[in-house]
Amino acid sequence: MFPQKCRALGVTALITSIGLVACSNEARQTLNVGAIPDQNPEKLNRLYKLLSSELNRELNVPIRYKPVTNYAAAVSAFRTGSLDLVWFGGLTGVQARLQKPGAQVLAQRDFDANFHSVFIANKASRLGQIKNINGLKILQGKRFTFGSESSTSGRLMPQYFLYQAGVELNDFAGQHPGFSGSHDATIALVQSNSFEAGALNEKVWISAIKNGRADPKKVKVIWRSPPYADYHWLAQPNLDHRFGSGFTLRLQNALLNLNNQSSSQRKILALFGASRFIPASIDQYSKIEKVGRELGKIQ
Amino acid sequence: MNRLSPTPTILSLLPALALIPVIGVVVTNVHDGGRLLLVEFVGAALQPSLDPVVVQSAWHGLQITVATALFSWAISSFLGILLGLASASVVWQTCVGQSWPAIVIRRFLAIPRAIHELLWGLLLLQILGLSPWVAILAIIIPYTALVARVVSDQLDTQDRRALIALQQSGSKPFPVLITALGPKMGPVLISYIGYRLECALRGATLLGVFGMGGLGIDIQLAFRSLDFQELWTPLWMLAGVMFSLEQILSWFRSHLRSSKNAIKQMIITVALMIILTLISVPWLNAVDIDLSESVSWNAFPWPTVAELKIAFNTLPWIQLVSSTIMVTLLAAGIAIGIPPMGMMLWPSRVGIGVQSYIWALLRLIPTPISALLLLLFSQTSLAVAALALGAHNLGVMGRLLKEGLDEQSNSGWQSLRASGSGTQTAWLYGCFSGQSPSYLAYAAYRTDVILRETVVVGWVGGTGLGWQLIESLGSFNWAQVALLTIVFATLTLIGETLSDQCRQHWLGPSKVRPMILDLQS
Amino acid sequence: MNALLELKGVRVHGPRGIRLNNIDLTISSGERIALLGSNGAGKSSLIAVANGSLTPNRGLVLWQGHSMQNLRQGKRQAIGTLWQDLRLIEELNVAQNINAGALGSRNLLWAVANLIYPLEINACKECLQAVGLSTDLISAPIGELSGGQRQRVALARVLRQRPELILADEPLFSLDPTLIEEVLNLLLANAIISPLAIHRTLLMSMHQPDLIHNFDRVIGLRSGSIVFDHPSNELDAKALAWIYRSE
Repeated sequence: MFPQKCRALGVTALITSIGLVACSNEARQTLNVGAIPDQNPEKLNRLYKLLSSELNRELNVPIRYKPVTNYAAAVSAFRTGSLDLVWFGGLTGVQARLQKPGAQVLAQRDFDANFHSVFIANKASRLGQIKNINGLKILQGKRFTFGSESSTSGRLMPQYFLYQAGVELNDFAGQHPGFSGSHDATIALVQSNSFEAGALNEKVWISAIKNGRADPKKVKVIWRSPPYADYHWLAQPNLDHRFGSGFTLRLQNALLNLNNQSSSQRKILALFGASRFIPASIDQYSKIEKVGRELGKIQ
Repeated sequence: MNRLSPTPTILSLLPALALIPVIGVVVTNVHDGGRLLLVEFVGAALQPSLDPVVVQSAWHGLQITVATALFSWAISSFLGILLGLASASVVWQTCVGQSWPAIVIRRFLAIPRAIHELLWGLLLLQILGLSPWVAILAIIIPYTALVARVVSDQLDTQDRRALIALQQSGSKPFPVLITALGPKMGPVLISYIGYRLECALRGATLLGVFGMGGLGIDIQLAFRSLDFQELWTPLWMLAGVMFSLEQILSWFRSHLRSSKNAIKQMIITVALMIILTLISVPWLNAVDIDLSESVSWNAFPWPTVAELKIAFNTLPWIQLVSSTIMVTLLAAGIAIGIPPMGMMLWPSRVGIGVQSYIWALLRLIPTPISALLLLLFSQTSLAVAALALGAHNLGVMGRLLKEGLDEQSNSGWQSLRASGSGTQTAWLYGCFSGQSPSYLAYAAYRTDVILRETVVVGWVGGTGLGWQLIESLGSFNWAQVALLTIVFATLTLIGETLSDQCRQHWLGPSKVRPMILDLQS
Repeated sequence: MNALLELKGVRVHGPRGIRLNNIDLTISSGERIALLGSNGAGKSSLIAVANGSLTPNRGLVLWQGHSMQNLRQGKRQAIGTLWQDLRLIEELNVAQNINAGALGSRNLLWAVANLIYPLEINACKECLQAVGLSTDLISAPIGELSGGQRQRVALARVLRQRPELILADEPLFSLDPTLIEEVLNLLLANAIISPLAIHRTLLMSMHQPDLIHNFDRVIGLRSGSIVFDHPSNELDAKALAWIYRSE
């Protein structure tokens, strides 16, 4: 009687544990994708299904898009392993990679290797064109705004260039700069003359000029920054282990192979504002890391 | 004795003085550069985007937000009532004859209240990863502590004479408490908990950004690219839900009031809460949110002592704390002082009607959006931050005041009018003076909320503890985050103690019997 | 006659001086005592000390020989108080209020159930009848009753408690002359032999010296001290004038 009971118990335990393992495998097999939507954020967020189904077709694993729009939250979610593949900005990508050693930089857009910020000014401010980086000194004592506090093109690199020109954060009017929260808000605030000048992502500036949101009669570019590497796709280090060997490579290829041939892929690329994705590497971002450390954004 | 003894009536009007410096600063910096954008914003309100993709996304988001709100609201209300009982002096006094454990628990509960939901969300995210529970717990934890404070305040300000009488007659503590206080607490609790649902809705909107999705994401992203037409689609949906909720709640309350039996009302309410919780779980499932999803436990990146020391030495504490207190006081002054001032100056039916629409609008538009709109017309300053923060809370205070006045009989007003006094003085003496003690009690709670919400407008001035907290979080400097959190908690505790003592000093220990409606946006 | 309640050297401090000073008082089973004194003489304090809701700063209060402070909660049921402000629970109806008097011998579940639906209606009706109220009032909300009716419901609650000693704090206050007589008779009737067959004792504070012939004993209070304490038929006008004369 007793051994029989034991056996029954053992079998139950076995079944349960298999069930548990099966369950956890089931959960693990979904590739969780996230993004810091920075350009056309609302459209990107809504149309993420397109990318999910494209990747699903290529890789044959279920893809799940998780909307994480808070910068710090996206980095933390990557650290805790809740997101497998994330579209990060330069700074947030480095932060995430440092918190999750071994994370893989997979791809960037064709122009992300040479990304630029632009410094814009309200015409009433009488700020003139800046010839070289030292010219940024004219911004001392002006009302100046960055974008979001964790944005690479809207805060980190502009702050770095200002710093190089000898302009500190407390040199602006009111002893501190503003943080508008987004690139579009920076344009609006400078255009309204609430701030005399600001810095933002060049791509957003170009599209704002195109769609008429930025009025060239009121606001102009005074300086275009030197190039630096920005946005990129970052993947968890353990994808091969979880999805089978070679998976990370397949994922990378799926991203790199997106092209303008099929209409859905064309839509995806248009949303990202790119003509294609190109391979990216970790060392492209060593400068961002250095700047991040210097400015205290990376611990 | 000719000692100056300010009455609650005048104490509630005085904070409006904060408006003078704020308006002064804002007006001297005003410009009209943002006119076009404002026109666009208002125009978009009349013409929200009807693009099927936008509407569909907002509709999906709305369901997530409402279901999340229902679920976390029910749980936080339930836990809040339990903790409220545990932190009420009258309960401990009746049961063990000592009231200090209540004070200890009460002070301890100030910590979860001092931390903004967004920060709770980020902290929980570190431990739980992206799980629906992050948003849910980030609402439950602070809201539970809030409900607990209100419940305990309510219990402690009730008339205790019947309780003493029953206790003297030899009854045991719990039967005494429930018989003597239960019937009085019923309506107050029901009305308060109803309002918490509205707050939970706002909280759930905000916290969708932690991977759960919801209306907040649509609002935030559309706002980020200043696409006002797409912004108004989810905003109007939220307004619709809020409005219907208000109607349902007031219908529910008037329906309950007719039944007279407070305990029966409470049982109906609890039953409804359970039903709503049971509905919300499958509803969340239906919109693809799985609460049973396994949670991955992660170690929290605790800062070391050395890091804490560095953080302590690097941050400009005096400047951070002083500017935060400044913004809080100015915003609280605006939020507290303006509604009674406005109603006094324009007490006619039309006037109050117009004002309540303005309040509704101020409540609806999230603080960051109103801050940006203000900024478009004025240069950045502490005053703008205070105005933006104050405006939102003004909407809440105005509504509370109006509801309190509606509940009160207008015999005082009638008798003053009959004796020939003007509309405005009759309003001040006949209507407002009856409400002012409880209004002041809300004001104390509101100031708490405003302090916490300085996190949301920190970016406007680019200064203050709230801004520093966002910056430290963005830099993953956990040592700074820890210290800032402690400072927020300390400020909340000091504020609470001060307001408790002021109330006791000016109004006496038992005179304040707020019929609590709402505390938090 | 055995002593029910004893006060020994009781002293109570109030915010504006001494409220009770060196009170020695023994109440025996079955006595009907009238407590006289001007407003502020300490009548309410004395009653509060006697029922245990006020702990004296000095002195002893003994209930049947046991210290009042350490008295088991359940034992307090034997002392019923008719408070001057009645202390009815306004939100409840008549039956639920009367039942509140029985809480001492019931558990929490019973208390909750009573709030949902009044229990033991017959016992409540019996108490209502004992105080001369119509049983039709059994489910009326307290808020709808007249002053005299409320007074009687409060008394009914005390009766439901089945106390051995009734402490009544100015129960005749603010009643019209016919009601005064009725309520007084109710209290006295219940003091001697209640319909519930319990031998009762009564201590009652009042302002009507002309009614004291109904009592066995009369106690006069002035400024917190007992100035006379003797059988009611020995009360003279001089003593009365003394307690009601202003200082």
